[in-house]
Amino acid sequence: MRSRYPDSGSTLEYTLWIFTRLSGVLMLLLGAFAVVYNNLVGGRTLMDIAAQYRWGFFPTYWHVQNTNVPDVFPNWSNSFWQIYALLLFLVAAIHGFNGLRIVVEDYVHRPYLLLFAKGMVAVLFLFTLFAGAVIIFELFV
Amino acid sequence: MYRGRHVGYLEGSRYKGSTHMLAWALHRITGLGILIFVGAHVIAAFFLNAIGDNISTTITTVYESTPVQIFIYFCVLYHALNGLRLIVEDLWPPLLQYHRELLWFQWLVFLPVFGLPAFLMLMSYLSGGA
Repeated sequence: MRSRYPDSGSTLEYTLWIFTRLSGVLMLLLGAFAVVYNNLVGGRTLMDIAAQYRWGFFPTYWHVQNTNVPDVFPNWSNSFWQIYALLLFLVAAIHGFNGLRIVVEDYVHRPYLLLFAKGMVAVLFLFTLFAGAVIIFELFV
Repeated sequence: MYRGRHVGYLEGSRYKGSTHMLAWALHRITGLGILIFVGAHVIAAFFLNAIGDNISTTITTVYESTPVQIFIYFCVLYHALNGLRLIVEDLWPPLLQYHRELLWFQWLVFLPVFGLPAFLMLMSYLSGGA
């Protein structure tokens, strides 16, 4: 069982421990800012609260496409929101998959099985990053 | 690390960690819940746009159903509030003296903020709404 505090002596573990705290707050702030922005540019009358929160936690334009927004450009679709979404996605993916790695390390004990499981976590992480980049920047073939 | 202890589920559930063990377990379960939901969402969006496969519709139908939405709301809200409590305790260790009060305060915030929307979603679901 792992304690809440990082192993002493490992810089990476300590960095990830700090990162988990900071990214947790950062994700909430990024989500709150996008929801506030959404309401300031007309989301309050154009969409329901579910769509506002969809936008807040992943600000890509198809999250507001099925609402009453007349034209997604320029307020809902530009480079700023693409970079914003990528930052949020990257931070969330590292936070989530680092958490999964910690859970795996808690429950898998055989060395080779652990190596395999952590490899699978890494593969899933990289695939998710790839899929996220494809979705955000519309790199469809 | 592994110490070779073999504790059964029944015995494990009687562990005297009580409230804070429940908080730890729920933090872990809700974290995995969010990871599965967001992962499924990303994979569905990816396959829908990149391949246009039916699997996207299937995944979307599952995570857009009301019971799953209520579970996801529980996961996100609990994980966020519990995480904020952990951050506050980690950054201001003197507050650890009041860890019980902090945990009760967390439940005090969580229950109405989760309960009211979940109740409304459930009533809408049971009356045949979306």
